[in-house]
Parts: sequence; C-alpha cells; structure tokens
Amino acid sequence: MPDFTSFTPEAVLTILGMAVVTYGMRLGGLLMADRLPQTGRWAHVLERLPGAVLISVWVPSALSAGLIGIVGATATLLAMIMTRNLFAAMIAGMGLVAAGRYFFGA
Amino acid sequence: MSSGPHFSAEAIRRGAIACLPLLPSTFIFGAVLGVLATQRGLGLGELLFMSLTVFAGSAQFVSVDLWRETIPALTIIVATLIINLRYVLIGASLRPVFRGRPLWVKICAMHMVADENWAMTMAQKETPIPGFLLGGGMFLGVVWGSGNTIGYLLAGGIPDPNVYALDFAFTAIFAALTIGMWKGREDLLPWVAAAIGAIIGHYLLPGTWSILIGAGAGVVVSALTWKGDNDTSAQPEIVTSSATGVSGDDYVPNPDDPRFSSRAGE
Repeated sequence: MPDFTSFTPEAVLTILGMAVVTYGMRLGGLLMADRLPQTGRWAHVLERLPGAVLISVWVPSALSAGLIGIVGATATLLAMIMTRNLFAAMIAGMGLVAAGRYFFGA
Repeated sequence: MSSGPHFSAEAIRRGAIACLPLLPSTFIFGAVLGVLATQRGLGLGELLFMSLTVFAGSAQFVSVDLWRETIPALTIIVATLIINLRYVLIGASLRPVFRGRPLWVKICAMHMVADENWAMTMAQKETPIPGFLLGGGMFLGVVWGSGNTIGYLLAGGIPDPNVYALDFAFTAIFAALTIGMWKGREDLLPWVAAAIGAIIGHYLLPGTWSILIGAGAGVVVSALTWKGDNDTSAQPEIVTSSATGVSGDDYVPNPDDPRFSSRAGE
C-alpha cells in the first residue's frame, strides 16, 4: 500500500496555499464581474470575454504541437462549422494529429 | 433557462455528460500526474488532497514538478497564482450563469471550475443553471482523481498521451467550442485580437502568459469596438426581489432581461 495516509504539515500547508489563491481568483473574478454594470461597455466586454479567453487557451497549445497542431486545429474548426457536432470535430482534429505523428513524426 | 433551481439533479447529470468526451484525456493526464508524484515524493493522499482542493491541471503539473523533499512552498504558490490568473477572467465570464443567484450558490459552485466544464457551460445555447457547471466539475474531478490514483499505484507504464493525440483533445474541444460561442459580427475583432495576442505571447513569453496577453487584447479591442447599446429594449438586468418580498434564495426572472427580447439569440 502506498503512503495514502501520510500527510506532512508542510505539504498540507503548501497545498492549502495553492487552493486558497486558486479558489480566491475563481470566486473573486465572479464577484468583481457582479459589481460591473449590467449594460454598456463593460457588459459588452464581458460578453466577448469567454471567446477571447478560450481562443487564448487553445491557440498557443495548437502552436506548441507544431505544424500538425495548426493543421489539426484548422480541421477541428472546419469540421465544427460544417457539422456543428462537437464529437465529430474533436475526432477530426485528434485523428489528423495522431495520423500525422504516426506517419510523419510531426 | 429563465429561472429554476440552482442545482437540479438533471442539470448536474447533463453537465457531467457534456464533459464525457474529455474522459480519456483527463484520465490519462491524471495518471501521468500520479506517476510524476511518485517521483517527487508526494504521498497519494497528498496528491488527491491537492486534486480536490486546487483542481487545476496545468498548475498541478508545474507544482508537482517543483516538489522536493524540502518543499519550495512559496515558489509553488506563486507559480500556481500566475498559472491560474486566467481564473479571474473565467470567473468574471460566468456572471450570466449566476445572475440573480444568492452568494452561497456562487461560493459552492465556483470551486469545481476547470477550463473544460467552464468552456462547455459557456458554449451552451441557453445559459445553463449553476448545476450544469458543477456537474461537469464533479465528473472531471472524479476522473482526474481516479487517474491520479491509477498512475500513482502503477508508478509508470502509462501510455504516452501524445501517441494517441490525447494531448490534442483539449485543444480540439476548446477550438470547436469557440465556434459555438460565436454570437455575431461584434465578436470578430476581439477574437482576432485575442488570437494575435496569444500568438505573440506564445513566442515571446514563457508559460501561460500567452493566455493573459490574448485575453487582455480581446478585452481592450472589445472595449474599443463598443458602439453603444443601440437597442432601447436593453434594460438593466438587475433582478429586483425586494419589492415583492421574495427571499433572496428565489430567482425571479426579469421581464426586461434582453434574452427575452427580439434580439435574443442574435
């Protein structure tokens, strides 16, 4: 049996520190947004925010995967636009990347 | 969705099912983290405690990698803070999901927010209730923790996720969900700015700074391209419950909610 029950105080405190900053930012972001106006410029910005964050998450990961990553992301986007099916789009992108790595080591 | 409970069993179940395509990748990466933990001297209990309380994949990978016999606590916490800064924006963008809901619902539901269940929630056609978000988070948490445990117990022998492009599953899901978030032409310039910012950040800066640069560019451009609320039907969406004497726990749909107007679904 691994050391399932061993908790050192240093480890617990470090993990709690990580947890507090992470949860604080999750809840803090929401509570800050609650204080912003419900209409006008800020509401417009908040509506654009999910797309902007999401794009900023996956574009760098696609670039990190190299040329095949860019090809795979493009295929995913096209498949989603054509089929509007999340699973089909995901399989299109992953299939291309897996095949590309297998055949070209890209 | 215009009203209803905060967390219904049905919404929790639908949120969990929505995250089902992420099961293989989340499990394998959870297992990879479990293997890494055995090499860095974390106990399995400590790792699961971290997965439950922090619940943020990329920050956990960096933290476990930094873990040593003498734990560099401050370095780990600062690294976690920087990697997870995007959660401020993610939390802010969840405002419509929690509109008119009491504080305790926000406190309970905001913990299990990962990139994946957040993206799945935001891409729904109709704004889901908080239960949908929580259901996805609970599902991912169980899969993540199970992966950690299997990886830890095997202490190796996990297939390389890259061979099956399992690393690309997250990229592909996020890219596809972006299409579902398209609301209209006003998204174009902020999205292009976010992409350009993220690309520049990717090549110039280390780690996850590219997310913040991209999102920041998107925010600035969307603020600059705002043309005014040209629709007079767009009234403030603040839910007023005091007038009718309803307790704060009851969500009252506002008839002025723009989602009910002719512009809804634009």
